[in-house]
Amino acid sequence: MGGPQNVGGKAATSVLMRFINSPTGPRTTHFWGPVANWGFALAGLVDMKKPADMVSSRMTAALCVYSLLFMRFALRVQPRNLILFSCHAANEVVQLYQFQRSLGGYDYFAGKKMAEEATARK
Amino acid sequence: MAVARLRAFLDHPAGPKTIFFWAPMMKWGLVVAGLADLNRPVEKISVPQSMALACTGLIWVRYSFVIIPKNYNLALVNFFVGGTGMYQLSRVFKARMEASRSLNAVRE
Repeated sequence: MGGPQNVGGKAATSVLMRFINSPTGPRTTHFWGPVANWGFALAGLVDMKKPADMVSSRMTAALCVYSLLFMRFALRVQPRNLILFSCHAANEVVQLYQFQRSLGGYDYFAGKKMAEEATARK
Repeated sequence: MAVARLRAFLDHPAGPKTIFFWAPMMKWGLVVAGLADLNRPVEKISVPQSMALACTGLIWVRYSFVIIPKNYNLALVNFFVGGTGMYQLSRVFKARMEASRSLNAVRE
């Protein structure tokens, strides 16, 4: 596209090109590894609708510890990986929710369903 | 001499004083937990999940070699994660092939 140009004192290469060519950008495994890991976080999000008795307390507890460890890993690894950090942070929140739900805690979707049934009955 | 080697291990940049040791160790726990699932009935295997595990595992094997510090333990555990994912996918594929083959045999 004509190469880097200095236009009115702005950066010579566009933000997009700098991202694409960055050492942790989409041309490297540092990008795709953590992007692949987001699959787990999303699978966990989908599982939030599962009935609470189908949630394994042991597995969610293990995943809580696992994501906590990998949150630290993502911050300490070279190069620091914020995509990895964010996917484990998201998974941590989801797994904590699932864990308390499996122990009989607050269930957003069940509560919503009950409220809907209550208004339908009125 | 043994003490020197032990000390070298303990002080390794990816050794037991660091997160680079414990995070992959934790992942082994998940792999072992997943081993019980290997004999699950084929109909209960989640294809999207197995595909995700296979892809993540294999990408992470390479990732483990490009990060600093290089992490062979993480590479190995992800190799197993990818391997079990692929094994489950192969079971589903095989079962579906058998099913379509028997269906064709019935039709003839």
